[in-house]
Amino acid sequence: MAAASKAAIPSSSAVLGSISTLNNPSLLKMSYYFTILSPTDTPLFNIAFGTSKGGGDGIARFRFPETAQYMNQFIIHSSLDILEEAQWTNGGMYLKHIDTYPPAAAYITAFLTPSGARFLLLHQPPNLPSSTSSSSGLGSSSLLGTAGSTTRASSSSIAANPTSPQTEEAVRQFMNEVYENYVKTAMSPFYKQGMEIKSPVFRTRVTAAGKKWL
Amino acid sequence: MTSPGDAAPVKPPPSFSPGVARVASTSPSRYPGEHETTQSLDAELAESQTVSSPTPLSATVAELPIRSGSSHSRSGRSSTPQLARSSIGSPFDGRSDGSEDIRSSIIRSFSPTIAVHASEDTDDLVRNKGFKGGFWELIRPFGETVSGKVVIRDSIGSSRAWEDYGVRFADFKGIGRTPSNRDSGPLAQMEEVLAKQLDSSGGMLGASVRTKDVLGLPATTPLCKSFLQQLLCSAPTAPHETFGHPVANVIAISSRNAAPLETLRQLYADGTTGDKQPPDWVNQEYLRYYVLVHDEERDDITESIKLYDQMKRHFGLHCHLLRLRSSQSPSANGSRRQSICRGQAKQAKALVDLGTDGTPYLFGSDATAIRAFIRELVVQSVIPFMENKVAVWNDQVASRRRGISGRFMSMSRRWAGFGSSSRSSIGGSSGGNSGNYDPTRHSYSPDSPEAILRKMADFAFMLRDWKLAASTYEMIRSDYGNDKAWKYHAGAHEMCAVSMLLNPLATSAKIKLESVDQMFETACYSYLTRCSDAPHALRCLSLAVELLKSRGGSATESAAKWAMRVMDFGLVGSAGQIIYTERVAACYASKTPVGAAKWGGRRRKAGMWSILAADQWLKAGQPTLASACLEEAERLYADVLQADGVFPMPEMQSFVDNLRHAVKVEYLGARGFDTREAPASEDPLDTEETSEKLDMRHHRRSLVGPPMQLDAGALNTTQGPLDSQSPPNDDFERA
Repeated sequence: MAAASKAAIPSSSAVLGSISTLNNPSLLKMSYYFTILSPTDTPLFNIAFGTSKGGGDGIARFRFPETAQYMNQFIIHSSLDILEEAQWTNGGMYLKHIDTYPPAAAYITAFLTPSGARFLLLHQPPNLPSSTSSSSGLGSSSLLGTAGSTTRASSSSIAANPTSPQTEEAVRQFMNEVYENYVKTAMSPFYKQGMEIKSPVFRTRVTAAGKKWL
Repeated sequence: MTSPGDAAPVKPPPSFSPGVARVASTSPSRYPGEHETTQSLDAELAESQTVSSPTPLSATVAELPIRSGSSHSRSGRSSTPQLARSSIGSPFDGRSDGSEDIRSSIIRSFSPTIAVHASEDTDDLVRNKGFKGGFWELIRPFGETVSGKVVIRDSIGSSRAWEDYGVRFADFKGIGRTPSNRDSGPLAQMEEVLAKQLDSSGGMLGASVRTKDVLGLPATTPLCKSFLQQLLCSAPTAPHETFGHPVANVIAISSRNAAPLETLRQLYADGTTGDKQPPDWVNQEYLRYYVLVHDEERDDITESIKLYDQMKRHFGLHCHLLRLRSSQSPSANGSRRQSICRGQAKQAKALVDLGTDGTPYLFGSDATAIRAFIRELVVQSVIPFMENKVAVWNDQVASRRRGISGRFMSMSRRWAGFGSSSRSSIGGSSGGNSGNYDPTRHSYSPDSPEAILRKMADFAFMLRDWKLAASTYEMIRSDYGNDKAWKYHAGAHEMCAVSMLLNPLATSAKIKLESVDQMFETACYSYLTRCSDAPHALRCLSLAVELLKSRGGSATESAAKWAMRVMDFGLVGSAGQIIYTERVAACYASKTPVGAAKWGGRRRKAGMWSILAADQWLKAGQPTLASACLEEAERLYADVLQADGVFPMPEMQSFVDNLRHAVKVEYLGARGFDTREAPASEDPLDTEETSEKLDMRHHRRSLVGPPMQLDAGALNTTQGPLDSQSPPNDDFERA
């Protein structure tokens, strides 16, 4: 896996040069949760991964405790409200950043497919004050000692800002690549529309795309 | 009139019918004859006093807005048809809507403060009646709502009648002084009160009396409402806002006093000199109102009337003769129970005492007399005084500031920073120079234009002339910023946004929500970062949440944003966090979808926040409240989920199932059922047994019923697909 990702990075370095230079390795430890939802809101595919850029190990570290991973689904599900509104106002397939869940600083980016399936990517900067990783160098930003007030701190550094144009562009590349693979998977004679995607090949490809772009 | 303590249905609602009939039948039998005579005397006296609305017979007064003692010009004006059309304005119009209720309580929490300064003998008389705090404590609850309609004329001359006008009585000695027990800070005290409320109610508070409005949208929970009320009245009197400063001072003596006029003079002098006088940032130009309390049982009425005539000669119109009985009303008797002041209590301690036994009782005749006194005080003296003050200040200070020269002065002052050191000389008299602010004491002197403009805006706000208030706040807010008077700056921004949102004439299209948001942002930043004043910041944000929520439409999004900001800043404690979680849910829930396509709803978000609130209530050991939230969440999710109510996402479903089960177990445990039986009810086979248990408590069924049925359904449906799908799933993954 590691070898594959290393092979993939140089091919994209021309495009991503601007991003990777901005990435302070110790800062950007984003966690991602990617979901494909059917038109009836049934999840077809889920994957959680962390960033692989700048020395990231590709493991998702969400802010919620291990027992509260359902929160990702709740946030994704709740952002469907916004998505249903945004899909009529935005002409493109890639809707960019549509929703935020401020208490956990979770950002939702959406991508529509013509068949009605929705790609939703939740990305979350690391939890700075109580983080166990090496990101403590930023220092405590919390105003009154509360957890969760990291939005201001993260917005101060461009690299960790999930709404920056660079991030939007990287997510767009990721979404396009996943979409390509999704179309290939959906064209498989063994796949019926609305079925959960269980193909290990697809999962591997999505993982690779995540490593490559995010 | 639902106070937090009154929420339990067992207590009789306060009756506002005139106490005549009831008193005649229920008065102590010791004084039957005397009572009759006092009643007739009362009526005589009322006529002789030239009071045009003698007793607040609410049935008759409610029909037509009477402005008693109004001047000729005013009465002529208010009879024009144009004004008659717009005359009745009350937040109670849409009473069924919870947000209107909240709006009204917000409006009423910014009501004029009237200081009460009573002589020793008056306090003694009242203490005999069982009111330990003296005269102030006796009349305080009656200021909550002035009986009948109160007509207020705004700056452009149109009048509106308000049904729910109220005033706040404050002890004169307590104004501007922080009570000694407030060492923990108001926020900590509020948390304490909240925890006590949760404990004492045993969680019954939230769930049972949660009302629904017409649309079936959730009204605010009583808990949240009481929290908001405490918050609004917990702010201590501060220099930067004049809502706590006295508008009038009621000086009271009793008929027992040997030297009444000397005492009055002494009490008057206390207000202007000496150590009892309010802090010097309080404007001394308030109304003095003189009250003679007559003891019906001990003293001679002719003597009192003679004295009262003398007072009228000395002090003019602002006098009142209040006739009270000095004996204590027996509580077992059916006299009207003392209504409990709910929101206006200045001390949180008083709020803790709500609903405790030992509340003194009053004779019906006393209650009627006090109500008439307060109506006369407010309608004839306080409101005209405030209207007059607003008009005068608007004319003398604001228009000069607003005019071209004032604008020029303020601009020149702003630009004077570039190089010229002659800032103070440029300012002159018109705009007020920056030297008016005393940075060491963090206040303006009360006669500086900045302070007067703020007071004028506050007066306009209290008179519910929000247009004038908003424009005045808007005018002065930048001045405060230039003077680096950050608390004033924050307060002006806050109140400007609030009065813009309260103005019913400004439609949602007209006012720009961005600018309101920006003002709240600035106010919050000034309060929190520049002044580290958490209570005011919390008040500001809570007002933002509630008012934006009541605006509806896209404003609810920013309401939810501000509620999250409250939690993010950590302004509230653990119980407060949960309350604000509920508020976020309520904000999203109040955004209703429009059109056939149902765009713009926020049902999923609202449902998520309700689930989160339920989870937190459960963790806080409040299964009843958790159950209410869960029920709410189910109602919200009903629109967006499939007909079977199953979440499409498995982890969500399992979490919600677990939560339902845990809430049920805790709830039944808390209700005294055997908890060991409850897990069995999870088994669909045992539903008969559970339904038997529920039959014992019919009124609880709505709480426990729906989760159970849904639970059973959910189990059935989730079992099916999982059983059939999981094995091939594994195989496929392996292959």
